[in-house]
Amino acid sequence: MRIALFLTVSLLLGGLAATILALGGGTGWEEAIWLGLPMGLVEGAIVLAARYPCQSAPIREGLGRALATQATAALVSAGFWGVLGQILARTLESVPRYAGASMRYRGAAPMLVVVGALVFLLAAAAHYLVLALESARAAEVRGVEARVLAREAELRALRAQIDPHFLFNSLNSIATLTGEDATAARRMCLLLAGFLRRSLQLGGRERVTLGEELDLVEEYLAIEKVRFGARLEVSREVDPGCRDALIPPLLLQPLVENAVRHGIAQRVEGGTLGLRAIRSGNEVVVTIDNPKNPERTGRRGAGLGLENVRGRLRSLYGDGARLEIAAPPEAFRATVALPYSAASQEKSVAG
Amino acid sequence: MPAETLRVLVVDDEELARRGLRRDLAEFGGIEVVGECADGFEAVKAAAEEKPDLVFLDIRMPRLDGFEVLSLLDPGIAVVFVTAHDDRAVQAFDANAVDYVMKPVDPERLARAVERARDRLRRREPLPLAAIGAAARAPGEPLSRLLVRDGARVHVIPVDDVDSVEAQDDYIAVHVAGKTHLKQQAIGDLEAALDPRRFVRIHRSWILNLDRLDRIELYAKDSRVAILKDGRRLPLSRAGHQRLRELL
Repeated sequence: MRIALFLTVSLLLGGLAATILALGGGTGWEEAIWLGLPMGLVEGAIVLAARYPCQSAPIREGLGRALATQATAALVSAGFWGVLGQILARTLESVPRYAGASMRYRGAAPMLVVVGALVFLLAAAAHYLVLALESARAAEVRGVEARVLAREAELRALRAQIDPHFLFNSLNSIATLTGEDATAARRMCLLLAGFLRRSLQLGGRERVTLGEELDLVEEYLAIEKVRFGARLEVSREVDPGCRDALIPPLLLQPLVENAVRHGIAQRVEGGTLGLRAIRSGNEVVVTIDNPKNPERTGRRGAGLGLENVRGRLRSLYGDGARLEIAAPPEAFRATVALPYSAASQEKSVAG
Repeated sequence: MPAETLRVLVVDDEELARRGLRRDLAEFGGIEVVGECADGFEAVKAAAEEKPDLVFLDIRMPRLDGFEVLSLLDPGIAVVFVTAHDDRAVQAFDANAVDYVMKPVDPERLARAVERARDRLRRREPLPLAAIGAAARAPGEPLSRLLVRDGARVHVIPVDDVDSVEAQDDYIAVHVAGKTHLKQQAIGDLEAALDPRRFVRIHRSWILNLDRLDRIELYAKDSRVAILKDGRRLPLSRAGHQRLRELL
């Protein structure tokens, strides 16, 4: 493919050189072809090699530098080409019937050098175009890769979603309740089923509203409330105006789960989990805080969940969203801030 | 021989879970629940005061987890872990150390655990605490705190605070800022659990916190002594000196 391109270009350039020699220098066609063809081969190689100065002086790094580089390269290569032609003509003179070839060549040389420079510049322009197309394609590939990565992060997040401790302890609560309070056992069953069903539902979507995610969180907290009794209290402060904000599914639930599992459950006296969601400018800011047991810091698993949330935010919003952690000895606060976009504005996001 | 009444302690931070276990146990007969605890400190205290035969122990609990509680119990007590999901319980079981039941609790499985505990008590088989300690730690994760029981009280000593540890017969003496705590443990087991980059076995009966070392002095031919920052002098064996030199 490359060789075919090289030969075609060389042949065309050889023809061009021969024509200039025949018309401009008054050489016979036969002599013009003898000189023109090798010159064409050389110019073909030069034209293909023009890719390298294009790569080293990309236009986006300054038009002036690119132009200067290309002009210099054009002049050098054209000059070299002209001198090469002269040498070829001299060599050809050793054949008696082509005597005086170098004289005739000199007549056409200025024209050849100018054409050589122009051809080089044309080739440089073509290379710039090809490079631009290539980089556009590479960017597209990168975009697809980023989407695949984001999707994988999402799947991992979903798999990690249902904490086995939570599930089995809840089932154990139900088992205990069945013996003493059938109504309470049934209610707990329904809560657990509701939570699992909603997790599956929301997890299958690209975006959910903050309101939907908060409902899931409430179901989760209702179950934990049965398990922990008076040890778990919740205070909520949710600005109703941000319930329609779109967020990735199951983003907040793991943070709330962390707050219960690594915070409140680690304290004998329990504590109050604070849940706050407000709109601040163009952002939705959700804060989850909890007291914690200072003796029990750096538990395995907590950091992993946070990294997961951070990774998802990065792959979906780049620098547009953030997760901030504040952890003085006795408390823990996770703040998620992401750009506000309302469900009503984005109709394409289907449920 | 009719089964004697088994005196049982139930430890779980969830009230509902304790209630469930209590009810199941009541149906077996021959069992008296002598106490219920919601956290590890309470459990150690109750075990010291009530001297139960068998302890049902949740693993994930506030303050002290089940494995930490276990390390502070008298080795004559039988223990059954009750856990929702913990690989370490299975490891401890595989080490032939401690039985376990999974939550939700299957009453038949629970009955079997009680029978096995009775067997164990009849055979007077002590808890293999060293094997349990090894099963409790995730590989590559060194001990972060030492627990010492003083009667019914538990002292929690962050390993950073430990100056040195000295072997004394079956005990180890943990030296912390001028105070000494005694703990029943083999010095080699503790050495294995500590971070080897920070704690060095400088002598057959001494482990030193590297931060506390001031200098090494030669006091006789081929015989060295470690001088600590507080001026204390600890014996340094030839192998201990070698280990220290590799770390410094």
